Amino acid sequence: MRIGFFVTCLVDAMRPSIGFASVALLEAAGCEVTIPDAQTCCGQPGFNSGDRTSGTALGLAFLRDFESFDAIVAPSGSCIGMIRDYPALFTDDLALQARFNVLIAKCYELSDFLVNHAPKPLSAGQLNLAVSYHDSCTGLRQLSVKAQPRFLLQQTQGIELREMKDAEICCGFGGSFSIKLGDIATQMADKKCTHALETGCDAVVGGDLGCLLNIEGRLRRRGDQHTQVKHVAEVLAESLVNTQLEQS
Amino acid sequence: MKISSEQFKGNARKQLANEALQSNLSRFGGGFADRRRDAVVKVDDFEALRDRGASIRAEVLENLDYWLLKFEAEAQRRGTQVHWAETGAEANQILLNIARNAGVQRVVKSKSMVSEESGLNEVLTEAGITVTETDLGEYILQLANEPPSHIIAPAIHKSREEVSDLFEKHHGTPRTDDIPALCEEARGQLRPHFLAAEMGVSGGNFLIAETGSVTIVTNEGNGRMVTTLPRVHVAMTGIEKVLPTLEDLSAILRLLPRSATGQDITNYVSILTGVRDEGALDGPQENHVILVDNGRSRLLGGDLHDALRCIRCGACMNHCPVYQNIGGHAYGWVYPGPIGAILTPAFLGLEKALDLPQASTLCAACEVVCPVRIPLPDLMRVLREKELTQGLRPWHEQLSIRLWRWLALHPGLYAFAARWGTRVLRWLAGRDRLLHSLPGLDGWTDGRDMPAPQGETFRDQWRKKQAAERKIIPIRVDQSLPEKTAGLKK
Amino acid sequence: MNARDRILERVRAGLKRPTPVSVARPDRSLAPMARSVAHLLNDFIARAESLQSTVAQVSDLNAVPAAVAQYLQAQGLSRKAVIWPSLKALDWFSCGLTAEARPPVSEDRLGITETFCGIAETGTLLLHSGVDHFSTTSLLPETHVAILRVDRIVERMEQAFALMQSELGQLPRATNFISGPSRTADIEQTIVIGAHGPRRVHIILVG
Repeated sequence: MRIGFFVTCLVDAMRPSIGFASVALLEAAGCEVTIPDAQTCCGQPGFNSGDRTSGTALGLAFLRDFESFDAIVAPSGSCIGMIRDYPALFTDDLALQARFNVLIAKCYELSDFLVNHAPKPLSAGQLNLAVSYHDSCTGLRQLSVKAQPRFLLQQTQGIELREMKDAEICCGFGGSFSIKLGDIATQMADKKCTHALETGCDAVVGGDLGCLLNIEGRLRRRGDQHTQVKHVAEVLAESLVNTQLEQS
Repeated sequence: MKISSEQFKGNARKQLANEALQSNLSRFGGGFADRRRDAVVKVDDFEALRDRGASIRAEVLENLDYWLLKFEAEAQRRGTQVHWAETGAEANQILLNIARNAGVQRVVKSKSMVSEESGLNEVLTEAGITVTETDLGEYILQLANEPPSHIIAPAIHKSREEVSDLFEKHHGTPRTDDIPALCEEARGQLRPHFLAAEMGVSGGNFLIAETGSVTIVTNEGNGRMVTTLPRVHVAMTGIEKVLPTLEDLSAILRLLPRSATGQDITNYVSILTGVRDEGALDGPQENHVILVDNGRSRLLGGDLHDALRCIRCGACMNHCPVYQNIGGHAYGWVYPGPIGAILTPAFLGLEKALDLPQASTLCAACEVVCPVRIPLPDLMRVLREKELTQGLRPWHEQLSIRLWRWLALHPGLYAFAARWGTRVLRWLAGRDRLLHSLPGLDGWTDGRDMPAPQGETFRDQWRKKQAAERKIIPIRVDQSLPEKTAGLKK
Repeated sequence: MNARDRILERVRAGLKRPTPVSVARPDRSLAPMARSVAHLLNDFIARAESLQSTVAQVSDLNAVPAAVAQYLQAQGLSRKAVIWPSLKALDWFSCGLTAEARPPVSEDRLGITETFCGIAETGTLLLHSGVDHFSTTSLLPETHVAILRVDRIVERMEQAFALMQSELGQLPRATNFISGPSRTADIEQTIVIGAHGPRRVHIILVG
């Protein structure tokens, strides 16, 4: 299965290890991964701020770069959510809209892809870590990403999944909201941190880097320098490396 | 009601620092979501009920004029006088005239959000007519001289101690902190008002076109008293509240109480039609309905049309993380939370409420629970788009949007910018690998650190890796892209 | 042009068409629920009790006064009542009750009414206003006793409306659906039973 991997702007700039981890997971799941070189951003920062052209122009770029693949995977619920909204922006051009509809039907958030659409199931890895999972909003509500990351985490030997209170409540990132209405965002992030820490977990895990940067940013400002904040791809990839090391 | 939606940011900041509010929000705010969930889980197919509710409301709006005229005809046939008010101020005048003509000196009110829009109470009071709110929450706020902070539980921001203080001050009775005793006290204080008032003013949860009726849903019994005891009853409500049939009402009533308070049904559903029955000993002799527009008709057929489906259940604000952190007063007008973020700019004008549509992470918790499936996040985006295209956003915001879009459409330049931008950030972050402040981004760094970029961009690392493993074949950028996008610009 | 015309004009403009001459009455009839009386009765009782109404059952109307007396005794309540005129013929006196057939005044503590029908779906009573159906009897006194015939329990609100339509022709001034004693949660979201309306609703099922 030929996968086009959409890195996402945040992963590209801020935490490439998530990108590498995702590629490793996809290959372990039996995929042939290509990373189109011209990709940049799905357009949601501008689009959610009210700039329709960010959506249409970057939607067209995305179509151009990814249309040819069997499936497209991104380590982000919010980016795939944005991508799934592209067709609605092209009501004036039915032919184009039809192409987008074909495209979005094969675009997936990473954990959802690994559990429900990959050629091979991911084998169980090994990692001793107590984690708590934060449900990013778009992934949860638009893409129904809820059970998939938990399934993958729980099948990992040594991982203890501890549910935090209000896991489904927004962490306060929301893109530019986190800057424009920063004091509200800070309080929302603070509550998320408190609930995560109440579980006593070693790591807060999530599927969207925006959320993770927001949560980690608040944790560190609160003085917590040791609780890890990781993308589910990183946790899983590390766990697979451990079993491969064991096997080798 | 004093409008302060323009000061939203300042309001929000104040409310975040308001310890009493924060305590009350964390103690009482989350309960609504729990109760709704408990109620919904008992229903066989709640999603089907939502579909039904959404289509009933959508269909009414498609023929709003027809159903309003039908309502008017039926209501008049039953002896109800139907008035139309374009603005809240007009509605107030109409009501004042009714009161004067009927020699009214005392008014008892059950809840009406539209009367909050119009500021009815002040107008009546200035004309020398006493107005007593009878819904317990509204009564508490009347004593406190505060506006409601939630459309269903108006005094949710008040603790029992604050209520005790108010009652002690205004009733002159011994102070009690016991909630049942406080309710008992209110019952005793308000009963004489019900019996003495010449006019009862109510809102209208729904208007039923086929019977010319006003429907109110309450739990306390004050709604029944207000619409039964005084000799004049006036109901005022928005023109969008009409439903075609009693069957439609039954369907909507399966959604409203569950979405609002988690009840399967409100304690009282009162359908008021016409004047006192012939020969009967109770009921008003005069019955009026004021149909209030106040900005609603302008939304019909436009891109905010779907917001008119709202049945004022409050579920959106109960589930909104922003509302649950700042409370209702921060929104600065009658309607808080997600629906308020849309209606306030829609009714008052976008310039009066610029920050409200921005006050959302678009998390969609509201959309998931709206009983009539209003696409609330989409409507907020619509308003954000209007703000941008009308040049109402700060210049630096407009610039960053344009700049980011432009860069993202030029991958080579984008890669260059990302490479150098991340280098600068890493350098600024130092050994800490944390940025504690960022020029222009204090919205973030006032309350949070920003983890530094990990290292080289993924793109650069991947390219190097590919080059090391095999010869790279760069993919050509499509040069015709700018033409394609130009044609689609709106 | 007055306000009415201007509002309607804006509605038409928004919807981009003139006002239609007629719009079909929406047909949203539900499939009739074929449930036995026993089923409906059980549902009704369960739901009514979950809403803090209390329920008793007697075999016929003549047993009602004794049932009321028993209830008042158990609750420690006074035996003075205002009742609907249609209940005058029952033998209240022998059961130790004073029953006056008039609308309540503020001193009255107990109101006894009949019920147009009950709704099993929510444990609700439907009372409507009328010449001898004082609305205030079920509203002002702190205790409301409602007499409901078992064969007058329908499944859903829609059926209650249909029954009103067929028996009364049109809605009277007040059609009240009552689902338990009055309540409020306006202080700290704490539910308190007994707000402005009755604190107690006692339903006597007959049949």
